[in-house]
This record gives sequence, C-alpha cells and structure tokens, in this order.
Amino acid sequence: MDDVQEKIIRVGNSLGLHARPAGKISQEAQRYAATITVHSCEMEADAKSILDLLSLAAPQGTELRLRAHGPDAAQAILSLTRMFEDMFGEDR
Amino acid sequence: MPSRTLYGIPVSAGIAIGRAYCLNKSHFSGTARQTVDDADVPHEKERLNRAFDAALQDLERILNLVPEDLKEHSAIIESHLMMLRDHKFRKRALDHIENTRINAEWALERAVGDLQEVFSAIADEYLRQRMQDVRLVAERILGKLVGGANGLNAITHRAILLAHDLSPADTIELDVNKIMAFATAQGGKTSHAGILARSLQIPAVVGVEGLGDDLAEGNIIILDGFHGRIILEPDEDELARYTDLQAQFEGYQATIMRSCHLPAETIDGYRVQVLANIELFEEVVAVNDNGGEGVGLYRSEYSYLSRDGMPSEEELTEIYMDMASLVAPKKLVIRTLDVGADKLMRMQSATEPNPALGLRAIRYCLKHRDVFRTQLRAILKASVLGNVSIMFPMISGLQELVEVKKFYREVQREMHAEGICFREDMPVGIMVEVPSAVITADFLAREVDFFSIGTNDLIQYSLGIDRTNKDVSYLYQPLHPAIVRSIKWVVDSAHRAGIEVCLCGELAADPFCIPVLMGMQVDSISLGPHAIPGIKRIVRQASMEECSALLKQVMTSQSVARNNKLVREMIFRRFPEELMFYSSLVDE
Repeated sequence: MDDVQEKIIRVGNSLGLHARPAGKISQEAQRYAATITVHSCEMEADAKSILDLLSLAAPQGTELRLRAHGPDAAQAILSLTRMFEDMFGEDR
Repeated sequence: MPSRTLYGIPVSAGIAIGRAYCLNKSHFSGTARQTVDDADVPHEKERLNRAFDAALQDLERILNLVPEDLKEHSAIIESHLMMLRDHKFRKRALDHIENTRINAEWALERAVGDLQEVFSAIADEYLRQRMQDVRLVAERILGKLVGGANGLNAITHRAILLAHDLSPADTIELDVNKIMAFATAQGGKTSHAGILARSLQIPAVVGVEGLGDDLAEGNIIILDGFHGRIILEPDEDELARYTDLQAQFEGYQATIMRSCHLPAETIDGYRVQVLANIELFEEVVAVNDNGGEGVGLYRSEYSYLSRDGMPSEEELTEIYMDMASLVAPKKLVIRTLDVGADKLMRMQSATEPNPALGLRAIRYCLKHRDVFRTQLRAILKASVLGNVSIMFPMISGLQELVEVKKFYREVQREMHAEGICFREDMPVGIMVEVPSAVITADFLAREVDFFSIGTNDLIQYSLGIDRTNKDVSYLYQPLHPAIVRSIKWVVDSAHRAGIEVCLCGELAADPFCIPVLMGMQVDSISLGPHAIPGIKRIVRQASMEECSALLKQVMTSQSVARNNKLVREMIFRRFPEELMFYSSLVDE
C-alpha cells in the first residue's frame, strides 16, 4: 500500500522548468493520490504546486529526483517521467 | 486649489477628459492589516477561500473570451489559473490566518511575501520575473476580498482608467465604450499596454510616477497622451485649454485622414513611398484605410511565437499566399524569421548571457537550416502571387550575406528539381541594422536588390545602449551625429549601386526626424499603419529644398543638442500642429 518510488531524471527542454512545463507537471501530479516531490540539490518541491516547481529554478540539464509515496506512486512516477522525456512537447 | 500633474511615458496619442476610475485601488500597501479573534478565524478563512474561488471563476470566464488572434495571451492566463489553483499557495495563506490570527488580506500579503523571498534568490531572470505573475494573481484575489466592486466589469460610466498595471487578462476585458483612456504606474514605451492602446486608438500614458492609491476617484482629470501628463484636479483654464486641444486634435485627425490616400509628394515634386510595418494578417485593412502604399516590413515571427513547435511549410505557404494576394498589387516585403533578443521562441535557449548579441535572426536561421529552408520554400512558393520581396534581418557583413544567398539558391535549385513554381527574380533585400553592415554598405549594396535600414536596432547597437534600461535610455539619441552619418552613408551607398533604400523603425514615424530623412532622399519609409496619415501630411507640405538645407546643417553639426534644436525649430516654424500632437524620440 505505502509504496515509495524514486527516479532520477534530467530537464531536457532548452527553456528549463519554466511556467508552462511546471503547470503541466502540477496538473498531471494532481491526478494521483500519492505525495509527489521533486528534489534538486537540497531543495524540495511539491510536484502538485506550480509555484513550488517554479521556485526550483531548474534550467536545462538539471538533474532532478522524483519521489512518490502512496498507493499509485509507481504510475505517477511513470507518467511524470514520460513528460520529462517528451520535454513537455517543446523542442520538437 | 492648484492642480497637480503626474508625468509618465506617452504611448498613445490623444486627449481624454473624464472621471477617474481606479482599478484595484486597494493595492497591497493600502490594505488594512488587522488581527482577528480566535472565534473569527473560521470566518476569515472562509472569506479567503471564497475570494480564491471567485478569482478562479473570473479567470476561467476570461480565458474563454480570448479572441483567436490573441492566442498568446491564453498561455499567460492559463499559468495564472494554475497559480490560483496552487493548493500550497492557498494553504500557506490560510495557515497564516490560523497561526498568527491575522485577517485574510494580510495573510495573503504574507503568503506573497514568502514566495517573493524564494523567487528573489532565483538566478534566472525569466523565472525570477514570474513573481510579477504571482502578484497579478494575488491582486485579483485581493480585489475579491475587499469587495467585488472594483474590477473592470464594475465600471458603469465612461471613465479614464488608472491602474497599477494592466495584466493581459485585464486588457482582454477592456471595453473601449467605457474606457476613454488609461494610465498605469508600471510599463515602458514598448510595453504590452501601449501596443494595445494604439490599436484601440485610445490615449494612454504608462510608467506614471506617483500614480498611487491616493487619487481621488470619480474626480474629473485630464490625460494628455501627447506629452505623457495626467492633470489631477484641473482648474477651469486647464479644462478649457484641453477641451480646445481635444477638438483641434479631432479636427486635425479628420484632415489628415481625408488626404491620406494622396501620394506623399513634396510641394516641389519629390516623391517618397510610404509603406507599413505589420505583423498580423488583420492589419492589412488598417494599411489600406490609412493610405499605406504597401507593406515594407512584414514581421514573420508571429506564426512561430504563437504556437507550440514549428509551423509547417504548408501552413506558412498558406499564410504568405493569403497575405500576398490581399496586399496585391501593392508590394509585400517579407522579413525572414527575426527571433532572439526580445522575441524569444520556446525552442530557443533562454540562457544566453547576452541575447541581443547572441544567436538571433539570420544567425539562428543559418544554424537551424531546416527551419530556414521551410520558411524560404514557403516564401518562394508565395512569390508567384502578387508582388512579394524577401528580406534578411541582422546581416553583419559580406561573408554572411554570401552564405545566406548560397543557401537561398540551393533551396531554389531543390524546388526547381521538384518542379515547384516560384518567381526567380523575386527582389532580395537585407536589413541594415548592425554597425558593421553600415560600414560595409558599399560592398553589400552590390549583392542585393534593396536595403532596409532598421533604425531601432541600429541606434542601440551603434550607441551601445539598451533603451529599456532606465539608467542609460537618455543616451538613445536618433539624431546623434553617428546615426545621421550612418544612415546617410547607407543611403548614398545604395544609390551609387543603383538600388532602393527603405527606412523602417520608429524614426520613420517620428515627425521631427522625417525632414532629415527626406533630405537624404530615402526612396521609401515604412511605419505603423496608424502613423501613416500624419507623416504623409508632413511630406506633402514640405519641400525638398528646405529638407536638403536642414540636412546640410545637421550633417555638419557635431552635437546632438544642436541637431535636436534644428529639427525642433523647423517643425515649430512649419508644422506647429505636429509640435502639439506628437511626442518625439527627439529630446526637448
């Protein structure tokens, strides 16, 4: 039940984690019951909060750690990872 | 009581006399900070929750109102919505009520303050500026807290709008039937609000110092969009004078509109072609209505900036073909992609330390050949219709131009092999806006069919100043001897090579600079459609003889101040109305 999942990902899109991707992530994260956090160095952000994500100020190339804790943690990590890999539909 | 005058930057011409209406008048500084009793905490939290929800509903409604052609606003409004929905932000504000027993307004202010602290530590300029969005969102919530009757919808009578700032969402809601004019405390010459005011043709002043909450709402005020003044509590003399000026301006506008379809020809028979700078398809109507003789600068960036990803060759071809046939038989000069610096595409890196000197315009296109090829093919395909020319921006020297032309020919060969029709002798021109291109203009002139001098960038690059930087903007002097000499040299080089030269940029729309440019015998000028009638009128009343004489004086002068004085004197003597109705880049 209390599944904890982690995954290291990298910000691939050239503009970095700006308002648009941050909005997309928070929207997607809100679909899951799991607590999802994004870690960068010592900073931690709630993936369901656009303002938290923005405050990470993660430019292209930043390594981030996704961490989900809850019943649907695995699915949440899977889907968020896919968004990062897809570079939020940018840089096509 | 003596009247009080506030000063700002005039961004849209005209005079408005009417009642002041203050938008979001309870800006944070004015919010009452109160502590609440334990018993009132649930009530206070409920108030805050309701304000969040009401603000959310408003923005959702506005999002649905965004017209097709302003789609770039949608993304901003959507991100504002996301911030409003941010549960952490809301919780933080609610926690402040719970933990410190303060009222909802104060708690909201604190929550914004917390974020401010985090954001101010961000190194990335673009991300740091998102704080401005947070503040706009918070103001919307605050508006709901202090009572719903201070939004744009609450305006019941015609009024002059005074606001701290206008967000893109606000501007969508502006109703010109009610808003006679507006002034904002924020913003500069090139800000979004100014562009909007000009397109709505209402007077506007931005960056007004001292525009605060203490302005007496409902009082009659005067907004002077020519000189950037706001007169609070005007006396009878001032009211009479400005009512007069307003009537004169209306008369003047009617006059210039009546003659705007006549050719721009001086009294001694010298003809200059007056073209328009446009960005959108919809603006072609304004070009024709205002007597534009064609499009001297079609900025092609919009198709790239207003969407996710790159437009396809088919999409671009359709746009260019529509444009070419709509403008035909008049000339349409399409400038290839000029991204970078202030116009940043999503697919570009925002981390350039110095974007104005970075990978922009033709440099970007030469590095991203696929993007460039797609646009070149679309323009070439459209060249079979109407009267299309192609123009390359930011050319910095001969070698770069040769490289561009080589690639252009390569694309032509490909299309030829594929059996696609295009006009082989479509005129090819370049923007001359980098100082190195100015200095080598004589070499470049032999390689192209026309020049277009982009004065905005030329002035900034030549004088080494960023005009949007308040500390150095005083150095932005269009009549600096270096600029005058540069333009003269480019015009002469073009004419010696037997090619035409157009001048686009704000200088072409500046009534004070036109006589000097005329004296140089530029073949055409290209300016915003709404500025065409006024400029045409000056040309039609001037003589080449006096313009040449003025230029001679300016060319031998060593000082900006003297040049400014010379052109002012001429305008004062010959076109007193222009002195009254226009602001100029030229200092007083």
